[in-house]
Amino acid sequence: MSNSIKLFFRESWLLMVSAVFFGALLAVANAAWAPKIAQNEINKFSNLAKALLPEAMKFEPLQNKDKIIIDLGDGKTAGADVRKGLDAAGNCIGWAFLAEGSGFADKIKLVVTADAGFTKLNGFGVQQCSETPGFGDKITIKNGFYQAQYKQAPAGKFTLTKIGDSKKIDSEIVAITGATVTSQAVVNIMNTYVVQIKQQLQQKKLIGQ
Amino acid sequence: MTAWKAFRGGLWDEIPVLRLMLGLCPTMAVTTSVKGGLTMGLSVVFVLICSNVVVSMMRNLLKPHLRIMMFTLTIAAFVTIADMYLKAFQPVMSEKLGAYIPLIIVNCIIICRSEACAAKNGIWVSAVDGLAMGLGFTIVLCFLASIREILSTGCITFSETAVWTVLNPVDKGGWFTPWAAMAMPVGAFITLGLTLGAVNQLTKKKA
Amino acid sequence: MNFAVSLALGFISIVLINNFVFTKFLGSCPYLGVSGRLDMAFGMGMAVTFVTTLAGAMTWLIDHLFLNGTPLEVTRYVCYILVIAGAVQLVEMYLRKFFPSLYEAFGIFLPLITTNCVILGLCIFLNLWQIDNFLMAVVLSFGAGMGFTMAICIMAGIRENLAMADIPECLQGAPITLITAGLLTLAFMGFAGMIK
Repeated sequence: MSNSIKLFFRESWLLMVSAVFFGALLAVANAAWAPKIAQNEINKFSNLAKALLPEAMKFEPLQNKDKIIIDLGDGKTAGADVRKGLDAAGNCIGWAFLAEGSGFADKIKLVVTADAGFTKLNGFGVQQCSETPGFGDKITIKNGFYQAQYKQAPAGKFTLTKIGDSKKIDSEIVAITGATVTSQAVVNIMNTYVVQIKQQLQQKKLIGQ
Repeated sequence: MTAWKAFRGGLWDEIPVLRLMLGLCPTMAVTTSVKGGLTMGLSVVFVLICSNVVVSMMRNLLKPHLRIMMFTLTIAAFVTIADMYLKAFQPVMSEKLGAYIPLIIVNCIIICRSEACAAKNGIWVSAVDGLAMGLGFTIVLCFLASIREILSTGCITFSETAVWTVLNPVDKGGWFTPWAAMAMPVGAFITLGLTLGAVNQLTKKKA
Repeated sequence: MNFAVSLALGFISIVLINNFVFTKFLGSCPYLGVSGRLDMAFGMGMAVTFVTTLAGAMTWLIDHLFLNGTPLEVTRYVCYILVIAGAVQLVEMYLRKFFPSLYEAFGIFLPLITTNCVILGLCIFLNLWQIDNFLMAVVLSFGAGMGFTMAICIMAGIRENLAMADIPECLQGAPITLITAGLLTLAFMGFAGMIK
């Protein structure tokens, strides 16, 4: 018995020692960089939101009691990350929220912004998208024709058309040629999130009727 | 094996991907942009040097059936460090490369060098070998990435301000219609295939 | 019922639409290296499917039982690779002892599999996609293996015929295989967007 234990240790001591050593190494690296990584996560959201709401100095998450739950259909729900954009004086100058849904290839994650009264959208930024290069990924072009259609558009339901005037800002969105599915996906994400968030913010008296 | 021979081996005689046909998945996945290829290449340089040195230090203690386990453990630890570093200081690149950074663990080049070089040679030679192999890999990645990025967008983008336009694309008022296919998986396979063919042709003439 | 549908959709999606070899380049090395003959390719594919399913299930359990939400998360990749390396070795020993015929069939591929990116890739993607259901994780793992098997078998079939073709000398071997693979990828892009 003692022999087999000896054999076990003789064969595997190196594995154990190095496991402990590498464990310690990782712990040190993690301790040094974890705050920076966490900060980057926060920055990612606020950088995108800030590009759309330049006057906002800070994005403040809603209080727990005001948490917004989105109905995704099929009995699924998800909590929405909605934040209030505050200017230097602490006044609310707009809203920003994270919206996601499935696109052509994979998930699309958008940061959508709206004005203080949630009547008009202030456009969206793309946080994650792996749509087809050259077609679907045109939604990521900053101030490209597709993104521009959501700037100052009424915060409500959108519909997609294949032909129309993309310069006219209304609830009709003109699809990207060759990427109807992606264009539709963005419209669907907007339709799921914008109206529900608006209603719940109204119910919670955070914005006017 | 001398350090010089190891150095030359990594950069030409046994240059990864082109001669060894190892490490193909990252080669094709990250070469949509030069910056991605460069980040990937440098991460591999870091992991290769560290893992080669550590493996070389414990080469006399290795037990045959636990060998692969030890190699992967060492590599995985350093890859995790590289991954955390990128997350902390290069968040955009880290996001873009995504799963391919942790996948360096199973990049065959690294485990192949542990087995073929570090487990047999001293620390100095192993470190040089790691550096040379890593640099060779980086060069190949950058070469393929520049072909693909130029043909798929017309320019090489390092950041929003540093854009080097090679072929003036149509949407910026130029003449070149970008080949979207080059940014897709198709472009990766075909670029690599043709590059290998060209290398074969060139080396055949010399011989 | 809904759950069964989403399982089926997940399976089809990972085999055809998000096929690891064609869209994520995972497993390219064996895909190009072992696809010379159809029977070898099939053996490799089966071995990979087997180990992927096992490793996918095990890493999912480890993720949800030990790692998620604890500081141990930093050791995630180390855990994954050790689980895979251990699983491969266990499977090898088990097969040799109890199923010698099966071991004959695909045992030779097993040691190679530790460094097959399909397996680690799958474990990492299961984590990235935040799969929160064990059954789904198993189905996706199995699907990833089947997708790899399908890709490598198609490739082997083509290469067996390619051997008779008149290929320029400099393109023989790996280059023409890569170009063929590129055209196959193009064909598989037709499946994209099949499931919304």
